[in-house]
Amino acid sequence: MATVLEVKELSKKYPKKTKFAAEKVSFTVEEGEIFALIGPNGAGKTTTIRMISTLINPTEGDAFVAGHSIIKEPDKVRENITYLPDEAGAYKTMKGIDYLNFMAGLFAKDKETLEKYVERGKAICGLGDRLNEKIGGYSRGMIRKLLLARAVMTGPKLAIMDEATSGLDVINALEIRKMIKTLAKEQNMAFLLSSHNMLEIEYVSDRVGIIADGHLMVVGTIEELKEKYEAANLEEVFERVVKNHEIR
Amino acid sequence: MKLGNLLKKELRELITVQALMSMVFTMVLFIVMGQIMGGAMEEGYDTSTITLCNQDNSAFTEDVLATIQESGHTQINFVDIQSEDYAAELERLGLKNLVIIPEGFGNSVTVEKKPAQIQVVSQMQNGGLAGTMSTVSASDIVSVIQDVCMDEVLLENYGLTEADIELIRGPLKLVEYTTLNGKTSKVSVMELTAITMMQSMIAPFAIFFLLLMASQMIMTAISTEKIDKTLETLLSAPVSRLSVLGAKMIAAVISALLNAAFMIVGFAFYMLGMVGDAVEEITASSILETTNLPIDASALEQVTSLPQAMAELGLTLSPFSYVLFAVQLFLTIAIGLAISLILGAMATDIKSVQTLTMPIMIAVMIPFFITMFIDINTMPAIFKLIAYAIPFTHTYTALTNLMNGDMLMFWIGLAYQVVCLIVCMVLAVKVFTTDKLFTMSVNFDAGLKKKSKKQITE
Repeated sequence: MATVLEVKELSKKYPKKTKFAAEKVSFTVEEGEIFALIGPNGAGKTTTIRMISTLINPTEGDAFVAGHSIIKEPDKVRENITYLPDEAGAYKTMKGIDYLNFMAGLFAKDKETLEKYVERGKAICGLGDRLNEKIGGYSRGMIRKLLLARAVMTGPKLAIMDEATSGLDVINALEIRKMIKTLAKEQNMAFLLSSHNMLEIEYVSDRVGIIADGHLMVVGTIEELKEKYEAANLEEVFERVVKNHEIR
Repeated sequence: MKLGNLLKKELRELITVQALMSMVFTMVLFIVMGQIMGGAMEEGYDTSTITLCNQDNSAFTEDVLATIQESGHTQINFVDIQSEDYAAELERLGLKNLVIIPEGFGNSVTVEKKPAQIQVVSQMQNGGLAGTMSTVSASDIVSVIQDVCMDEVLLENYGLTEADIELIRGPLKLVEYTTLNGKTSKVSVMELTAITMMQSMIAPFAIFFLLLMASQMIMTAISTEKIDKTLETLLSAPVSRLSVLGAKMIAAVISALLNAAFMIVGFAFYMLGMVGDAVEEITASSILETTNLPIDASALEQVTSLPQAMAELGLTLSPFSYVLFAVQLFLTIAIGLAISLILGAMATDIKSVQTLTMPIMIAVMIPFFITMFIDINTMPAIFKLIAYAIPFTHTYTALTNLMNGDMLMFWIGLAYQVVCLIVCMVLAVKVFTTDKLFTMSVNFDAGLKKKSKKQITE
């Protein structure tokens, strides 16, 4: 399997802050793999994700998406990723279908590709005729499905999703988790997720990285981690890793 | 293709049906206002009809009224009042004003040889222009009656001839000249001031409105994108940040210009409705109608028409001046947009957007009020400096500078705005192309009351 994302000692320190928000974070994500970053609030998940998405610049280190450096070739990186921020909205005055068209237009190089992307988006979101309605009238679940469809319709090498299912009801969350698993398996798409929901992560991800206080503490498959920390589930693993870190 | 796609999206967000409706509404409002104001002014200046209640039966009064009617300039509409409750009487008769000649009027002048009393009742409809106008026209009517009374008294009591009276009435012949920047025109300064004041009040209002609207638009657009996190989605897509920024600016300019176009059309109709009729009324006919003396044609010819006088004094703008003013207006909007963009990027929620509009509101309002009420150059040096440091001040003074031919001040203002625009654009680009777009914010903690930068990310 080819490596889609290689994060090398990525660090970020915000101006006027003494501590690093993320320090020397390193991990890799392979093709077709679902990798999850988990950690408490303020641990550095979003900072790491934003650096990889080329939204903010790293203070030190680098990351490579499909071989392209986020520092030297951010344009190339953006061609290969899609990013779904936590609690993101969409343009309320646009119709769902127009939103898909608009976003596809930013990725597609020609009309044919654009149409292909939009068709795929329509199929994935499952919103049917409601795509012809304005987004302002959508429920949270509908918006999230639309955004998720947008994030995967262009077939990115790496889809980055911050709290992919936050604020959704059980049914909607379940559908989205299934969707992610299917896309990774069938289309060999790589996913970088971040979440607070351990149950979700345990269900959906292949490998997990636990981040606390700006440091990536441990990386491994769920089984490896459970074994290492003698835990019954990921929640216990998480608790032990974070507590160990605090004691130190 | 991508810039086009972005621009299309921005335009669709800014120029909505609601936005278009408000533009049309503003235009219609101006047109209607012009019609109403024009109507009020015409009505106000109309001295061709007097509504009069004659309670005096003396021959003198009859003579006076007959003379007024014979002159052909003024029609008298006679009414009777039933009580001294003037409010009720005006209401009953459906009048705005009424002249009452009380009993004993003639006797007082001819027998007692004392000034006689005449009463004027005017209805003040509201604090607006129309209310004041009815008072103006009432006092004009009284002066007509007074003139005729004077003639009658002089004729009958002192045995003077009509030629004597003419000389007494008009020992002076006033010919007014107005000079401006070395140019002279044969016109009354009062009349010119009335017109230029209208222009100097309305033009800043239009600038004020346009600036605030464009700023609000881009500020809302950028802050909504930031708060909804659609900006993060957009900037992680394969588009350059400058094209996102550019699309937003271009769309805001297009939308602001569209707004301006609607407003200017409305404004043109407003001026046409208000000034067009009223000016003619004030200049020529009012001079004729408010004096009861025979006026020869040559006297009228001597009065230069207002548009002609304005051209003579250089108060009208050449096409080149209009272009210069348009350039300045464009610079102003661009500066406003760049500042708003930076401010909008600091917003973390809807509440902070409202607070963030304050700096731009203040920067637009200070010069607006200053230029509307006083001449900046008469202010103490320190205030003058502060006023001129605000880039928008130069937009408000541009029109006056162009009209007065003060080109040095105009060019200085324009150059200063260019510098301001470059600085603001550099800052905006810096904010947009660095981490600042996501890390910059303003914290309005009630207890602190102090702006402080805060990191909002983890």
